[in-house]
Amino acid sequence: MSTTTIDRLRDTELSYRATLAGGALSVFLLIALLGLAFPSSIWGNLLAILTSRSTLSSALRLSVPITFAALGGIFSEKAGVVNIGLEGLLIISAFTAVITTAVVGPEMTVVGLPAIWIGFFAGVLSSVLFSALFAVVCIRFKADQIIAGLAVWLIALGLAPFAATVYYGGVNTDNLGTTLGTWTVPVLSDIPFFGALFDADPAVYMMLVAVPASWYVLNRTAFGRHVRASGENPKALDTVGVDVSRVRYAGVLLSGFLAGIGGSALSLGLGQFVGNNQTMVNGKGFIAIVAFLFGNYNPVGAFGASFLFAGLEAAQIRLQQVPGYGVPDSLIQTIPYVTVLVVLALVGRTRIPAASGEHYDTGDDNR
Amino acid sequence: MSTAVHLDEITKRFPGVVANDDVDLTVERGTVHALLGENGAGKTTLMNILYGLYEPTEGTVHVDGRARDFDSPADAIDAGIGMIHQHFMLVDPMTVAENIVLGNEPRKWFGTTVDRERARQEVIDLSNRYGFDVDPDDAIEDVSVGVQQRVEILKALYRGADILILDEPTAVLTPQEVEELFRVFEELTAQGKTIIFISHKLGEAMHAADDITVLRNGKNVGTVKADETSNEELAELMVGREVLLEPKAEPQEPGDEVLAVRNLSAEDNRGIPAVSDVSFDIREGEVFGVAGVDGNGQSQLVEAITGLRTPTEGSISYKGRDVTDASRRSRIDDGMAYIPEDRHERGLVMDFDLVQNGILGSQHSPTFAADGRIHWSDARDHAERIIDEYDVRPPHADADAESFSGGNQQKFIVGREFEREPDLVVATHPTRGVDIGAMEFIHERLLDLRAEGKAVLLVSSKLDEVQGLSDRLGVMHDGELMDIVDPRNTTEEEIGLLMAGERPDADATDAEPPVGDAK
Repeated sequence: MSTTTIDRLRDTELSYRATLAGGALSVFLLIALLGLAFPSSIWGNLLAILTSRSTLSSALRLSVPITFAALGGIFSEKAGVVNIGLEGLLIISAFTAVITTAVVGPEMTVVGLPAIWIGFFAGVLSSVLFSALFAVVCIRFKADQIIAGLAVWLIALGLAPFAATVYYGGVNTDNLGTTLGTWTVPVLSDIPFFGALFDADPAVYMMLVAVPASWYVLNRTAFGRHVRASGENPKALDTVGVDVSRVRYAGVLLSGFLAGIGGSALSLGLGQFVGNNQTMVNGKGFIAIVAFLFGNYNPVGAFGASFLFAGLEAAQIRLQQVPGYGVPDSLIQTIPYVTVLVVLALVGRTRIPAASGEHYDTGDDNR
Repeated sequence: MSTAVHLDEITKRFPGVVANDDVDLTVERGTVHALLGENGAGKTTLMNILYGLYEPTEGTVHVDGRARDFDSPADAIDAGIGMIHQHFMLVDPMTVAENIVLGNEPRKWFGTTVDRERARQEVIDLSNRYGFDVDPDDAIEDVSVGVQQRVEILKALYRGADILILDEPTAVLTPQEVEELFRVFEELTAQGKTIIFISHKLGEAMHAADDITVLRNGKNVGTVKADETSNEELAELMVGREVLLEPKAEPQEPGDEVLAVRNLSAEDNRGIPAVSDVSFDIREGEVFGVAGVDGNGQSQLVEAITGLRTPTEGSISYKGRDVTDASRRSRIDDGMAYIPEDRHERGLVMDFDLVQNGILGSQHSPTFAADGRIHWSDARDHAERIIDEYDVRPPHADADAESFSGGNQQKFIVGREFEREPDLVVATHPTRGVDIGAMEFIHERLLDLRAEGKAVLLVSSKLDEVQGLSDRLGVMHDGELMDIVDPRNTTEEEIGLLMAGERPDADATDAEPPVGDAK
C-alpha cells in the first residue's frame, strides 16, 4: 500500500506545483496582453509597474530580510527545531545594527572598516547570541519550541523599542544619515530592467550568493545530510555516531546567523530602526516561515516565494501612487498578504521533517 | 574455527532487577548463533552490553580474543560489531545509499562535499559482494521492510562490522522475507562474518542457527547445536518445564452466526482507505483468524467491528442485529470482548491500579455499580480473581498497571476480557510480548471459549498462532481480504504469498511458489 500511495502523492504534488506556476504565469501574461492592448487602462499601469526597473530593484531589496530569515528557518527546522522566533531575530539584529553604528559613530572607521559594517556584524552577532539562548532552552532544557519561539519574538518586540526609548527617548532611533549604499557593476547595470540586479544593496548580492550556497550545504555536504537526518530520524543519526544535539545547535545558530544578516540589512538599508507597533520588521519573520513552507524547505523555492511576496509588496507600493482608481490604500496594502493566504491554501503538501519539533533523548537511560 | 565473541560471567543489575546473571556466551567465528528466550529473559540486555549500550555490572566482554571495555556503541563499532535494532534506524526520505553512508560519508574537494558517486559505487560493490538486491537510489520510504532490513545490514557492513547482532529480525517480515533473510545469513557467514540473532521463536532458531543459547530469567541455561536438539528440548529449556507447543483444537461443528461483516470499508486516521470491501462471518464455537503483515488494515477492521471507528461503507451485524452504527458501550454491554493490540494505549490506564483497570468497560454495569456508585470491594475481588486465575505476577491488585511487565499486563487484560462472559471475543495479537508459558495458557483459554460455543475473531501477525488456533483463516493484504482458507490444509508458504498480496492462479497452484525478490 505505502509505496503506491506515496507515488500518487508525489505525482499530485508535482502537478499541483506545476499548475500553480502555470497559473501565475498565465495571470501575468493576461495582464501583459491587456496592458499592451490598452496602455492607458489599469492594465497598462499594472504592466508598467511590473516591468519597471525600480519595481525589480525594490522587490530585491524587500526580499532580503524575508529570504535570509527563511533560509535560517530551513536550517533550524530541517535539523528538527521549529524556530518561529525568526521575527524576533530580525528585530533584535535590525536594532543592534543601528544602535551599534550610532554608538561607534556613523562616520567613523575602525581598522579600515566603516562603522556601518561594524554595526552590520554586531547585528548578526546579536541574532546569533539570541538564537543560542533559544537553542539552549529548546535542546538542553527541552522547552516547548513553539512557546520558546514566541518568547524570542515577544522579548525582541519589547526589548528593541525599549532600548531605543532609553537611548533616544522614543521607540524609533534617529536616522544615521548613512546606509549600506549600493554596489554598482559598471556596464551590466546599464541593461534595462535586469540592470537592477547589478546596481543593488550589498545585502542583495549576499542573498543571491546565500540562496544557492544554502542549497549546496543542505544537499551536497555531509553536514547538510546530518541536518536532514536530525530532523527526520534523529535516532538513526545517533546510532551512527553523530551527535544529534550538536547538529541541532548548529542548525539553530545558523538560523540566527542568517536571520541576523536579514535584520541588519533591513535597518541599515534605511539607516534607521523604526520601533512603532510591530517595528519595521512588521511580520517579515512570519512571512519567511510561510515562504519556506511554500518552498517546501528548499532554499531556492523559499527564495522564489520570498521574491513573489516582495514583488507584490513593491508593486503594491507603486500602485498606491497611481491616482484615480478610488481604491483605498489600505486595501491595496493587503494584496501581498491576501496572495500569501491564497497561495498557502492552494499549494499542495509540504513535507514537514518527521521529527521536527520533537525533543530527542539519547536513550542512554532507556531500560 | 576461532572465537569471535566471548562473554565471561556477565552480570547486569538494574535497580531491583537482575537482568543478566553470570552469563557465559561463546560465539565461533563464521557461525550463526541464536539467542533464544522468553520475553524478559535478558537477551536484549546481554546484546546491548556487547554493543556498548550498557556497561556490565560484573564480567568481561572479549572480542577476537581480547578483553574489551566498551563505553559507547562507537567503541563497539570500532571493534567490528554492528547491531541491527528491532526498529530500523533509517531516514525515510533519504535514499538507500545516503542512509548506508550516513555519518561516514566519503568526501571530496577537501572534505567539503559528499562524494556521491563514490558513495553510490561503494554501496553497489558492497551489496554485490554479499548478493544483496538493493537499488542505491531508491528512497527508503519506497522500499519494502525486507529491503530496509538489508539496508540496515549493509549499513553495519559499511562500517566494517564482522560481527552482526540482530534483535528479533523476523518480527516484521513475511515468511518469504524471512527465508530471504536466512539466505543472507548464509552468504554472510560464508564470507567469514559472525551473526548473533535474538529470537523467541523456536522454529527460526532451529532453522537458521548453527548454535543456540537459551536464556531464562537472565541465566544461560544451555548452549546446544541446532542439529542436535529438538523443539521440545528447546521449549523446555526456555520455560523450565514441559510445554504443549501445538495448540490442539478438537474438531467441532459451529453453531449459529454471531458476527457478519458485509462489504466493509474503512479509512485510517489520515483518511486513506485502509479496509476495502471485506466480508466474512463468524459462528458460535468457531475461531476466525485474520493473518497478515502488520499495517495491512487489520487494525482498522477490528476498530470498525468493536465500534471504535466508523466504517465508510458496508455493514456489521452482531447476534442478528445491525450494529454498524451502534456505540462502543452498547457493544460491550452486548457481550463483545476486545483485547486491543496496543495494551498501553487501549488496554490499560497505566497509572491506575489493577482494581481500577479490572473494571474498565464495566464501570457502569450492574455488577459493579448497581446504584450508580462503583462498589470498590466487588471491584477488588474481581481484580484479585483475575490475578489469581490468570497468574498475573506479582499478585498485587493495588500496584499501578505500569509497574507490571508487558506479559503480565497482557495476562491481566486477557483475564478481564474473558471474564466478561462474552459471546464474541475480538482478540488482536493476544500473545504479543508474552512468553511461551503465558502464550500456551492464553491459547488454551481461547480454545476453552470456543468449546463453550463462543465466537472468536483472532488477529495476529504470528502465522503459527493464527494457523494453529483458527477454524477458518482470512488473509489480509493492503486492506483487502485476499482469501479465506482452511488453515489445516494450507501451507505456511501459500499463506505467506497471500500476505504478500499474490493471489494464486487457479491453474498454477501446484507450481513452485515464486520466492525471491521481496520487493
